[in-house]
Amino acid sequence: MSDKLKTLTSNIETIIRGKHQEVKYVVTALLARGHILLEDNPGAGKTVLAKTLAQSISEGTIDFHSANGGVAFKRIQFTPDLLPMDLIGSHIYDEAKKDFVFKKGPLFTHVLLADEINRASPKVQSALLECMAENQITAGESTFQLDKFFFAIATQNPIEMEGTYPLPAAQLDRFYMKISFGYVSEDVELDIYTNYLAINDGKNTVKQVLTYNDIIQLQQEAEKVYVHPELLKGVVHIVQGTRKHQEIALGCSTRGGITFIKCLKAWALVNQRDYVIEDDLRALAQPVLHHRLIFRNREASRTALQQIVDHEVNKLSKMGIKAKK
Amino acid sequence: MINFFKQGRFQQLLIRWVLVVVPTVVIGYITLRFLNFSYTSLRTGIISQTVYFSLGLLLAYSLYYFGARWIISLFLLWLVYLLFERIINRLPGEFDVFYATARFQLYSTLFFIGWVFGLLLVRLRWAYLILFALLAIVTLASTSDTVDISLSYILVHLLPVVVYGLYLFFLSPLLTERINIDFKRTRKFVIRVVLFVLLVLLAFVATESLFKGELKAVEKELAARGAKGKDGKDGGGKNKDDNYDDRNGLMDKTDDGYRLKDTMRVNSKMSQSDKLMFCSRLDNYFPDGQPAPLYFVFHYLTRYDRVKESFTRDINVPSLDEIEVDPAKIPMYYTYVDTTIFRKAMASKLRKITEAQVYLSENTWKHAVLGPSSVFSVQTIPVEKDFQKTFLSAYRIFSFTSELNNAYFVYNISASPSLEKIQEQRHDELRKVRDYRFVDRKFIDYYTDTPTGGIYDSIYNLAYGLVSKDAKPVDKVLAVRDFFLKRNENGKRIFRYTLKAGAIDDPNIPSSKMLYDFLFKTHAGYCTYYAGASLFMLRALGVPTRFTTGFATINRSDKNKGWYWFYASQAHAWTQVFFPGYGWIDFDMTIGNEDQQGAPKPDGTPPLPPPEPWLVLNAKAESVVAERKQLDASFNSLIYFNNPYELNQTFTLPIDASLCRVLYNKRDTTFAAIKPGDSLIIVSYKDEAKKIPQPMVGATIEAQVRSFPKPIIADEIHIRGKEIEKKKDNKGGKAAKPQEKTLTWQEVAWFTAKVASGIVILLLFFPMLYLLYRLFRVASASKGAAKADQVYRAALYRFHMAGIERDVETPLEYAQKKVDPILSTTFEEFMRMYLRLKYTQQNLSADDHDIIDRFSRNAGPSIRRKNGFFKTTLNYFNLLRALRYFQQPEPAPEIQSL
Repeated sequence: MSDKLKTLTSNIETIIRGKHQEVKYVVTALLARGHILLEDNPGAGKTVLAKTLAQSISEGTIDFHSANGGVAFKRIQFTPDLLPMDLIGSHIYDEAKKDFVFKKGPLFTHVLLADEINRASPKVQSALLECMAENQITAGESTFQLDKFFFAIATQNPIEMEGTYPLPAAQLDRFYMKISFGYVSEDVELDIYTNYLAINDGKNTVKQVLTYNDIIQLQQEAEKVYVHPELLKGVVHIVQGTRKHQEIALGCSTRGGITFIKCLKAWALVNQRDYVIEDDLRALAQPVLHHRLIFRNREASRTALQQIVDHEVNKLSKMGIKAKK
Repeated sequence: MINFFKQGRFQQLLIRWVLVVVPTVVIGYITLRFLNFSYTSLRTGIISQTVYFSLGLLLAYSLYYFGARWIISLFLLWLVYLLFERIINRLPGEFDVFYATARFQLYSTLFFIGWVFGLLLVRLRWAYLILFALLAIVTLASTSDTVDISLSYILVHLLPVVVYGLYLFFLSPLLTERINIDFKRTRKFVIRVVLFVLLVLLAFVATESLFKGELKAVEKELAARGAKGKDGKDGGGKNKDDNYDDRNGLMDKTDDGYRLKDTMRVNSKMSQSDKLMFCSRLDNYFPDGQPAPLYFVFHYLTRYDRVKESFTRDINVPSLDEIEVDPAKIPMYYTYVDTTIFRKAMASKLRKITEAQVYLSENTWKHAVLGPSSVFSVQTIPVEKDFQKTFLSAYRIFSFTSELNNAYFVYNISASPSLEKIQEQRHDELRKVRDYRFVDRKFIDYYTDTPTGGIYDSIYNLAYGLVSKDAKPVDKVLAVRDFFLKRNENGKRIFRYTLKAGAIDDPNIPSSKMLYDFLFKTHAGYCTYYAGASLFMLRALGVPTRFTTGFATINRSDKNKGWYWFYASQAHAWTQVFFPGYGWIDFDMTIGNEDQQGAPKPDGTPPLPPPEPWLVLNAKAESVVAERKQLDASFNSLIYFNNPYELNQTFTLPIDASLCRVLYNKRDTTFAAIKPGDSLIIVSYKDEAKKIPQPMVGATIEAQVRSFPKPIIADEIHIRGKEIEKKKDNKGGKAAKPQEKTLTWQEVAWFTAKVASGIVILLLFFPMLYLLYRLFRVASASKGAAKADQVYRAALYRFHMAGIERDVETPLEYAQKKVDPILSTTFEEFMRMYLRLKYTQQNLSADDHDIIDRFSRNAGPSIRRKNGFFKTTLNYFNLLRALRYFQQPEPAPEIQSL
């Protein structure tokens, strides 16, 4: 199984260069049955990453719910005039049946790429809420269950840019992780420039490496990863720490803590381990927790969480080996 | 909700009881213990004292913690007081009410102190400052009473208070908020405190052993200073003893105390000295009960030195009735008796034995006996505590005095007719002596020896003109007296008393030239002129005479009958004339001077006489139990009902000193000053309750000693010898003297610097020691997880000290990014294995053991390979780096695999 994960990450990395950590984050979110929000300036490669991931786990054609156990991929470009029914779908009068039938929208998929999510109105953003949180869609009187594998990758531009609607806190909370891309290094950039055309030409250079079943299996495996009680305590301390910290206006919720643990497990699996270590706390605290907190000032937004995590990790690292039978 | 709040509040109170009240009770107990050592008045049992103190403390603390008003507390205090009073009034008759009342006062005071402490602790944030200051003052006051005060003594006694102060200082910020008990944190805290205490102890031991010699020296100096500060007389006293025998003249060589010579010089300069020399109780009364004062003799000057033109003291004189003993050297309560004095006094008629107690002030020469003439017995006695400021030492003397001697008789004029009558009777009695026919010729020759020559002859001629050579001795004396009292034709006295006579530089016995001038020209002088002139005249007339120095006794008040005070201005000189059968009789030829003799001087309060001792042991302390104030003493000589004995074996008996007065250098001190090995004088007073058996006739003293009660209840313990003192004496005066003075600030600074450098050195070696500790833990760890743990800790420390400091990264990152690239150890491999051990429940595999071994073998050499041995070692002296290692966020407690 771990081989498959490796092939998945390396497969994605043939397209996305120099973003090893970010790729791992995305895979982690996938294995933790969560969703991920990528935030960066336009052109950083967010969409490409999402697409590549989807391609790696779906069959060649990107289509809704292929019957043969493949993975469906849908992409929605969010715009200010987008309406919720554009996502969910709508009831359409069927002349033949003389009845309204529900025409499923693009949300009915396995992998959803919600591009530039913050350009849509809050009304539309909240339409995503239900399906992201509960894997179901309610339209009118009927409720439609989504597949147990539903993975949303949203991208957004930094909110300072014009024509954006900041995501509501509740919506942000639904995303397991929020990562920002940042620019690649000089070498990687050069590499991209020299090789990009080739990649672009061969659209199908990305093979499908994982099947639907593989993913379900990996997700189940991630749940079995062992978390030491001391590490759980560490998570508690971090979560509580965010609530007590003077520079943090709104601390982490309990759901945030649960998410954190889920992500820790998935992250350990991505790193080829079946147990969580203290390093994982450090690696994941920022992407998992940062967007759940409201800081009092810009300075705190950079340092406060790191302080809490560093303190806790240091404590753990000083701790000896607990009694063994 | 309210209930919950209250419970929480109560819990907080309980926590505070443990954190604040208990340590305060402990410090209270310690302080009370010190106080009990020093002050016997507290004697009620330290436990009950502490109980009352802690009761007050606890009650006040709890009440005020719940926000009680002071009205309530006042009411409660009043209630307690009422209750106590009730109990005392209801006491059964045979119970000692006085004792109960005294106890009640003490207990209520302690209760109140406890109350105030509790109030302060609750209400004041800075209470610990007040309490610290209070306790420190009390402790210092109680410890400073001891004689052998030393640096370590002060430190040890102040330590609890300092620790308490520091403790409250650290605790006080915590007390303002809710305290959550976290047992893990508590354990961590305890471990830290224990480590800190160990470090301090180590530092103490190290400095102590490193600078033992210097410490001892400083302590010795401090002890010497302490003793000196307590009584100025001891400093140079003993090394003067060599000069003691050379008591020629008026103590020319003495520089101790107040010199008689000086008093005369002072007199001669008309500056009346008010310095109290000594006071005395003299058991000499007229038949009608009126006190009969006697002149106090210091020395007799018998031989005329023609070269010096002065009288000097001569100890080879035939039949000198002057006791030869140094009272300062007589052990306490011991008696020195010289029965030859009776013979030497050469008197049989009208003699009696007079007792006197002499209390010497610091101005007086303490090595010679002062007393009425013919002292034959000297016993040293202690000075009561309240009078120790005024009087340094005391002795009781017995004199073989003549009934014809009396200060009233010797005044050459007397104011009252009754006294003149008594004088007349005395002279009539002395008229029975016709001549010196039957007296030893040698004796007479010695005491009538006079120089011859121009000036002297004119004096003798003057004497021959006064009275016929065949007159009775006493008439010759009276003739000389009358010569000085002669009046001129105007009815005015020819001779005057003046202190301005003679050269100011020569306060001594006037030379012949000066006497000549006095007799024939100036007719003015002071006592030595009169005495000197009359001596020459009387000797020329064939009357055995001697020059006597001492003090004129003046009876000033009837308030304290028999008590006399002697001031420096009373230093006097007069003549003693020998009458066969009657012995030496005082005659004072000095013209009365109202200004001097009648000068109003206040009489002080007489010191309390010491109780009669039944038992005095000259003992050595074997073992001392300071808490119970008991000791074992071995002795082989004792005074038993005023009889001194030497035992043929050494006895060791227990001594109960709980009610005892302890003295050192005749100064009161505390029981704590007694150390095993000290030689002691243990005194038990006359008291039936002490069950000291009356002496049995016929029994050997050893048998009687065996019947002594066990323990013997002591009333006084005099510490005689201290080892330090003896050493100092051996060194001799000159070597010892500078040592006493030279504890200057430089030395204190030097000492401080030494202690500080000791601590610095220890600190410098601390990183190395810590490494050794870590390596020791590695070596001693059992194989497996515990081993991995110790290897991990040691490795972190060693890499840190090698200069590769871990920042905020996790140990794994640290291994990956910092250590391995530099040192190329297998740290990362080890770390991965270690983290797996740490965060899973898997057990170790054989590979894991290999990894641990490989890494632990590799870590040290890899550092040395990189840095070289020298630099690696040097790195362990980088204190700042070590500090950074320990400054990292607080570590979780180390959990052992048990």
